[in-house]
Amino acid sequence: MSALLEVVDLSKHFGGLYAVRNVSFAIERGEIVGILGPNGAGKTTLYNLLTGFIAPDPGARIVFDGRSLLGLAPYRIAALGISRTFQLCRPFIGMSVLENVVVGGLGSRHGEAFDRDARAQALLVRVGLGGKERLAVEALSYGDQRRLEIARALAARPTLLLLDEPFAGLGSGEIDDLSALIRQVHAEEGLTVVLIEHKLREFMRLVSRVIALDFGAVIAQGSPEDIVRHPAVIEAYIGRGDAEPTETAHAA
Amino acid sequence: MFRKPIDLAGAAAFVAVMAALPLVFTGNYLIGVLTVSVIYGIWAVTWDFMSGLTGRENFGHSLFIGVGAYTAGFMNTSFGLPGWWSLPAAMAMATLFALAIGLPTLRLKGPYFALAMLSGAAIMQRLMLIFWEHTGGEEGINGLVPLIRSQLGFYYFALAALVAITALLLALARSRWGLVLRAIRGDEAACQASGINATFYKIAALVISAAFAGVGGAMYAHYQLQVSPQLFAVVTSITIITMVYVGGMASIYGPVGGAILLVLLTELLRNFGEWRLMIYSCTLILILFFLPNGLIAPAWRRLKAAMGRGE
Repeated sequence: MSALLEVVDLSKHFGGLYAVRNVSFAIERGEIVGILGPNGAGKTTLYNLLTGFIAPDPGARIVFDGRSLLGLAPYRIAALGISRTFQLCRPFIGMSVLENVVVGGLGSRHGEAFDRDARAQALLVRVGLGGKERLAVEALSYGDQRRLEIARALAARPTLLLLDEPFAGLGSGEIDDLSALIRQVHAEEGLTVVLIEHKLREFMRLVSRVIALDFGAVIAQGSPEDIVRHPAVIEAYIGRGDAEPTETAHAA
Repeated sequence: MFRKPIDLAGAAAFVAVMAALPLVFTGNYLIGVLTVSVIYGIWAVTWDFMSGLTGRENFGHSLFIGVGAYTAGFMNTSFGLPGWWSLPAAMAMATLFALAIGLPTLRLKGPYFALAMLSGAAIMQRLMLIFWEHTGGEEGINGLVPLIRSQLGFYYFALAALVAITALLLALARSRWGLVLRAIRGDEAACQASGINATFYKIAALVISAAFAGVGGAMYAHYQLQVSPQLFAVVTSITIITMVYVGGMASIYGPVGGAILLVLLTELLRNFGEWRLMIYSCTLILILFFLPNGLIAPAWRRLKAAMGRGE
């Protein structure tokens, strides 16, 4: 069976700077994959390319579920079954918590086949926001806004969920709760999950496979155990013992 | 459409008062003022549907008003068509103008839509002067026939139109459509990520808004029995936005009250002579300063809450 998402030779440059360079990888159905990389490695640009928010350089291939995503508007890609969250929470300001999640389900390809209000309600309970349905979204704490982002993404019943730094700004207790939630929706909905993170520890326990990025390129792929021992990853995070050549290479 | 019976009761009370006013205080002067206030109500509620809900400010609503009015003028005088044909024709022309401006600018981020509306209205005002052989220049077009002979009859027609348009837009605003439009105001990128074609909804909202504003323009033309380039004036657009603010942005029903209140206030202040503009402006500044969410809609919500506690 072919991969759920296949990315070949994906590049994006802004002027002379490559934010993403010749990235190729495949995501299999049902995986939880982590995308690891230091700040500025091109992780969020990669998401924006996958979801159509920015157009890749010519020559790339992005195939999702047998369909090319190139040239599709973000709302079309979302309707095909790819939901994402944003690094900085982007709730619908001025609306209630419940309304936020209902809107998340409006663009779904599943049409009217399911009751959106009931599902939104159930999702809120599931992410731990039960009882806060009527609150204005501005009244939520940061951690709750993160949960809301995930509930809204799930409302569309996606096949593939892209999470952009879901743990950013959360305390360790909240991170454990959120990890449990991600595992749970992965198990229950048969969801394929990709998450971006630059903190190693939190997500190593969560993911089955890691794709490591640095300076826009894939530097390593493999199991979490292999990745933490991979020389290129160690170099990207900690630097080499003889730091001089690395520094020069990065500066160039 | 109405979330609670109390909303329906409030709407019924409003219509009853508006219908009874000219019977209690007789005289054509008051009927005229009320007719104008009701037509401004149509313009304010249509502005609010597009710009209040989606947050895309339209600084040239007078474009649709003027296009509607001039369409009525041409249809009625140059082509000699019956007055009632003006309304659907004005609707169609305003829709075309909405598409011409909305299609290129509403897909863009930034102030392009607001600027295009502002300049569109200004350009149309100039064009009416440049092509004076056809448009009558400063004089405009005169000699339109009234839609309804009786002044009172036309007032009731305008009131019925306002109620129908407001009811339709309220129903839309409280449906899934309204939810999407408000979500666009909240965060457009997140809308896209939720699989919603935000551009389509924005353009559709503008078309609906423009179509009814155009109808209002045609009604105004058949009330004044003439049209002039002043209809496109920026000041009209700004007045409408002020009415929406006073009424309560994004509430749909609030701007109707805001429009009627401000038109009546303008007339009541006529006795103050040269002080009129100053009192009017100061009142507005005070309202906007102390009630940034407006006057009418928040007052209604508070009244409902108070009554809910009383029961």
